[in-house]
Formats: sequence, structure tokens, C-alpha cells
Amino acid sequence: MSIGFDGFGSAYFDGDRPVSEEVSLHIANQNLQIGLDDGDTLFWPLKDIRVLPDMAGKQGFVLRLTTDRLARLFVTDGSLIAQLPNATRHAPPKGRGKLALWALAAVAAVAVQILVLVPLLADRLAVFIPPSGERALGEATFEQIRQALVETGVDPLAVCENPDGVGALSQMTAALSAGDDAPKDLSVFVLDHEMVNAFALPGGYVVLFRGLIDQAETPDEVAAVLAHEIGHVVSRDPTRHALRSAGSIGVLGLLFGDFAGGTVVLFLTERLISAKYSQQAETDADTFAYARLEGANVSPAALGSMFERLREKHGDGNQLVSHFLSHPSLSERIENARTAADPSRDFTPVLNDAQWSALKAICD
Amino acid sequence: MKDALLTFPTTDPSGLPVEFVGKRGALFWLALKTGFLTIITLGFYRFWMKTRLRRWFWSAIRPGGHPMEYVGDPWEKLLGFFIAVVILTFYIGIINLVLMFVSFSVFSSASIGYLASFAGIIPVWFYARYRARRYVLARTRWRGVRFGLEKGAWGYAGRAMLHWTLTILTIGLLWPRMTFFLEKYITDRTYFGSARLHQGGHWTMLYRAAIPFILSLLILGAGAAWMFWWDPLVVSSDITIEGITRSFDEMMDGGAPAFPVVGIERLVVFPFGLAGLLYGAIHYRFVSKRLMANQKTSQGITLSSQLSGPRVVSIYVFGSFIAYLFLVLGIFCLGLLAVVNLGPSVVMGIETDQYGARFDLPRAIWLVLLAGIYLTVFLMWNVLYSTFVTFPLMRHMAKTLSLPERYGLQVVSQRDRDTFAEAEGFAEALDLGAAI
Repeated sequence: MSIGFDGFGSAYFDGDRPVSEEVSLHIANQNLQIGLDDGDTLFWPLKDIRVLPDMAGKQGFVLRLTTDRLARLFVTDGSLIAQLPNATRHAPPKGRGKLALWALAAVAAVAVQILVLVPLLADRLAVFIPPSGERALGEATFEQIRQALVETGVDPLAVCENPDGVGALSQMTAALSAGDDAPKDLSVFVLDHEMVNAFALPGGYVVLFRGLIDQAETPDEVAAVLAHEIGHVVSRDPTRHALRSAGSIGVLGLLFGDFAGGTVVLFLTERLISAKYSQQAETDADTFAYARLEGANVSPAALGSMFERLREKHGDGNQLVSHFLSHPSLSERIENARTAADPSRDFTPVLNDAQWSALKAICD
Repeated sequence: MKDALLTFPTTDPSGLPVEFVGKRGALFWLALKTGFLTIITLGFYRFWMKTRLRRWFWSAIRPGGHPMEYVGDPWEKLLGFFIAVVILTFYIGIINLVLMFVSFSVFSSASIGYLASFAGIIPVWFYARYRARRYVLARTRWRGVRFGLEKGAWGYAGRAMLHWTLTILTIGLLWPRMTFFLEKYITDRTYFGSARLHQGGHWTMLYRAAIPFILSLLILGAGAAWMFWWDPLVVSSDITIEGITRSFDEMMDGGAPAFPVVGIERLVVFPFGLAGLLYGAIHYRFVSKRLMANQKTSQGITLSSQLSGPRVVSIYVFGSFIAYLFLVLGIFCLGLLAVVNLGPSVVMGIETDQYGARFDLPRAIWLVLLAGIYLTVFLMWNVLYSTFVTFPLMRHMAKTLSLPERYGLQVVSQRDRDTFAEAEGFAEALDLGAAI
């Protein structure tokens, strides 16, 4: 039995010349019979005919044959489509092995770059940055942070400069940085902000927030945090971090570029990678702090007490979230600080009561 | 030859018309569906999204009633992307790091490093642009015959750099020369089957397209001269920045300005001039395309475009307004939600040395929710942009195009397939293959 279709407006293209040929269309014996003007008839097996996907408009469809990459049949009669058993079947993707291989290569290249090459190179190069360059970088970043943290007005966040407080702070710094391997050009500042926090910047900048001093119950707790940040300065963590993110941000940008959520994914991934890397740096800075504190005859357990106070205030945080932040969990660090303190030793506070009151009033 | 479209009448001035058949609603759903899949697959579906949108647009454009066909394959795009990542990773990662190091140690600043790493990527960017064009042309067919572009991406990148340098050195005076010769470089290497295209005309003809832009510049310049030189706005001997901001504040509060001001209403010239510049820029971009299209020929084939500058600008203004309105509203709501639920310090995103995790579980849920809204906003922005800018623009460009002379098509024959391992991977990795 044969079915005829309306061939008006239909056209056959042989895949060599852009010249349309008028056709008559029939289905018989599981073949689409395409009758051309010159008397030839083409036989297209129905099971091998596909309709081009994602066509705009309903005026006409384009058919192709799986065994001929080039020939095209433009048809206007939609009832023909219903007769094609495999009209929308996809061909399996070709060269899957090759694709898998390159996918693997791409993942490996990015992983090697971000996890091995960039950190390695950053660590090597950080040592060669001249102190003046590091210093300028730290100064610029410090100014940026002061500008960013200010909530009202145009002036940057104030640096606390009460002379007695500054004196107490430098005494504390001096006590912690005695010895050979201590950094020479430390600049310790207190910023007038309620955040309970502290950070180190390239070029020996260590910044404490007023909130941290307010929250501390003994001078030893402030000293513990200060010692931890000095640890970062000594191992040049801030400089290495700046170099490392310069290298890895660009590489990650390649992966998540042209897509709506790209920026967010990029940010989170960078965060995750730098967190993995810097957990080691944090642990090292803690270890450095224990040694410095003992050297200044202060109990390393003070770092633990400071953390405990933070835990009371904010909780330990859930595991998922803390994964995205750069520090090991608080409980772990409290435990470590406790064990680092020698119970048989007799420690003395790092500042006397008068100095401690002066430090607490550094922002007044 | 039986094809009446190609033989009769050979000198019809209106030519073989180009039709455009797609409906806006259909495109909206296709863009929404593929955009959503792109988001939930963390961006991997974008190769399919791009392919499907191109197939749709290509099939909507029908010169002489027969659709164009896009035969690009998402899998080859994915493969090309992987290849580009492997090659570019080392270039970008190591180069950026070394540049940053040099910038820190020699210039004591980070910005020079960023600038240098940006400058270093520019030639690769042009290279990628040409390669992407070649890929798209190689995967485009009409009446079963392939288009094609010859090799020559580095030649294009070199010329582009040279033309840009010239343009910058002449403060933009030679911009039309750059537009013309870069387009000519591509057109002269473009084929339809065996027929090679030729770009005729002269670069100076493009100054006509720049008239609205130049006029707006003149108006702005004259306005500035008028208000600050011939008949100054502020009649005072000592003008300081502080004084100006203070008078501005006072005027905002409805009071009298501190300086004696003459004819303040004349300031209206500036917003008009700036709007004119924007109009002029879009006008130049598209009208120059029209002028050049009219000079593109091949043996027995000519093109003719009736594209209207004002129409294109109104499409841009109206479409972008809709898309950006949604974006701005969405971001505003997002910002409001974020500040209310997470507190201002999180939003400021300052990187500090935090002692332990600060978030508890409800906050984590909030973060996920905010991320969801953020992605939705960008998804909708893309969809609206496709529907209200790309769609009417393509439609207008297609409908105003025709082929007055086309008997040459009868002697065209198929060209070989251009195999392309990296597809448009470089353009994809460098983010310059925006949507279509």
C-alpha cells in the first residue's frame, strides 16, 4: 500500500549544489520514495530518516538520512512526520573515548595547576619579593580594608592611638618577638571596630580589632592571638596567599566562565581550595604561637580560652559551613592549645594590671 | 536547471527575500528550558543550550523560503572546551602568577600585574574570536551547502592589534578603517560552498554610519565650551571642587546656590548629548554592517540590506530596558533579603581572619535560598535578553536582507568538511562566546 503526500513547496537538495529540485512524495514498502523531475526516484528507508530538531516555526520541516550526511529534504506536509518511526532518535555521541580522555586531561591540568604548581611557585616566589614591595602591598591592602569597613562617612576606619595603650601593645609585641627567628619590621595596629577578629597582611602588618580586646578577659588572651598572627607574618602566609589567588582565580575563571552562576561558583571554589590549603597554615601559626607564648612565659592555654569565649558566643558552627572558611574547627584548636600548655610550669601574665587597663582603653 | 528562484528574474531589484519565521513565545520557552538545565547542571548544559538556540535561530532565517541549518554538535563543543582548558590553564595560571610577582617586587602594586595579565590575553582573545567565527560558519548550511572560513586566526589577531593601536593613537579617528579592514579580512576568506565572498567598497564610506556619533560629540563639546568658556555657568573668580559640591547640595535641598549661577537649565544639553552618544554607538555598529553587506559579492551573487539604524536602536533600548529592569529589581530584592537575614558584614564580603565558623544552620539554609534566587535572576535576565533583544534584532536583520543577484548560486558546489578539534573552545573558555 502506498501513501501519497502533498509535495507542493517541498524541495530536495542533493548536498552538492544549492539548487532545489521539485519532488513528489510517496511512502511504500517502508521507504519514502522521492520522485525527482528528471524521472529518477530516491528511496529513503523510513527507519533511517530523522527530522532536524529545534526548528523554528511550523512552516516546513527538514528531513535527513542517517546514511547521507549532506542531502536534505524540505517538506511542507506535516502528516509525513507521523509516518517516521525514528524521527527524533539521537545518534550516540561519536568518539566518547576521546572525549573522556580530554575531560580527564582538563580536570588533571586544572588540578595540577591549582593544587601543585601554583602553590609551589607562589611559595618559592614569595621569598624573593623585596621587603619594600611586600610592605607597599600590605599598606595598600590595609588602607583598602580601613575604607571598606567604615559604615558611615568618608574617612577610613580610625586606628586607635591612645599613647598608654600603644605602649602596652608594643611591650606585648616585644615580649612575643624576642629571639632570632622573629620578624624585624612588625607593625601592630588596633582598628576601632566591634568585630572580634584579627588578621595579618603582607609586609609585617598585624591588625587587631577593638572587639577582640573588649572580649578578652586577660592580656594573655590578646597576646595569644597576636602570637598567632605573628606566626602568619613569619611564614609569609599573606604574601603567598595573594600570589596564589592571582594564579588560581584565572584558571578557575576558564572553567566557570560563560554561565549565569559562574561568579558565585568561582568564588566558592576558590574559597574551598584556599581553605584546604590554609588549614595547614593555621595549624602552623598555632604551633608557632605556642612556642612564642612559652618563650614570653605565657601559658599557651590562653589561645584556647580565647577560642572558648568565641565558641560561647557563636557556637562551633556546622561542618559544612566551616569547610568553606579557612580554619580548623574551634573545638579541635581549644583541645590542642590545652595540651600545648605544660601543667607543671608557673606562667605569669604578659602585662601588669595597669598596662592591661591601658590596652583596654587604647581606642578611647 | 529547474530552480526558478535562481533564474527568474535575474534583475529583480528587490531580490530574493530573506524570511524570518519563528515566534517569540517558542523562543522564550526554549531559552527558559535550556537555561534552567544549564543552571542545574552547574553550567555543563550550556553547550547544548547554545547549540539548540542556534539551531532555532538558524532555522528561523529562510532566504528564499528555505531554512538555514546549524549542524554544530554539543559534544564537539564540550570536547573543544576541554582541549582549550588544557592549553590555556598553564598559560593563564603561571603567567598571571609571574606577572603578579613582578608587579609586587618591581612596582610594589597589584594593579600593574592585573593590567599586564589583561593585556597578555588580548591577542588570544582576537585569535579565539576568529576561530569561533570559523567554527560557526563551518557548521552552517543553506540548501545543503556548507559555509566556510579559511584558516588565518593569528593573522586576524595581528591585524586586530595593529588596527587597535592605530585607532587609539588617532583618538578614534581611524575607527571606521579598523571596522572595514577587519571585516574585509573575514569576508574575503568566507565561502559558500565553492563560491568565495568578496568585500568591496572603501573604508571611508563607513564615516556615514558614524554621523550621529560625531554630531553628539560636537554637541557635547560645544555645550561644554558654551557653559565653561563663552558664557560661564558659574560667575565667580575662585571655583573650588568643594564649592561646587556644596552649591550642588544646596540646590538639591531647594535653596539658592552658594555661587551666582547663570542659566542653569542649559545643563540639559549634557544628558541629551550622552544619550546621543549611546544612540550613535549602536547606530554605527549596525549601519556599518549594512553598508558593508551591500558591498559583499561573489560571482553572480550580491547582497542588499535595508537595515534601519533607528529601528535597531529602539530594539536595543526597549529590549535592554526590560531585561535590565528585571535584573536590577532582582538584585535589589536579593540584596535586601541578604542584609535582613545575614547582617551587613556578610554582604560586604571582607576577607578577614575569622576564628571559627560564624554561621549556624538556618543561615546556611538562607544562603542556599539566596543562591537559588541569584541564579534565577540571572537565568531570567538571559532569557529576556534572548527574547527581547536577540530575537527582534535577528528578525530585523534577516527581513531587511535580500539577494538581488543570485544566478551564480547555480554553479556553486559543496566544499569539504572543516574538522575542528577544539570547536569554539577558546572563545568558550575566555567568555567571549556570549549566548549566540
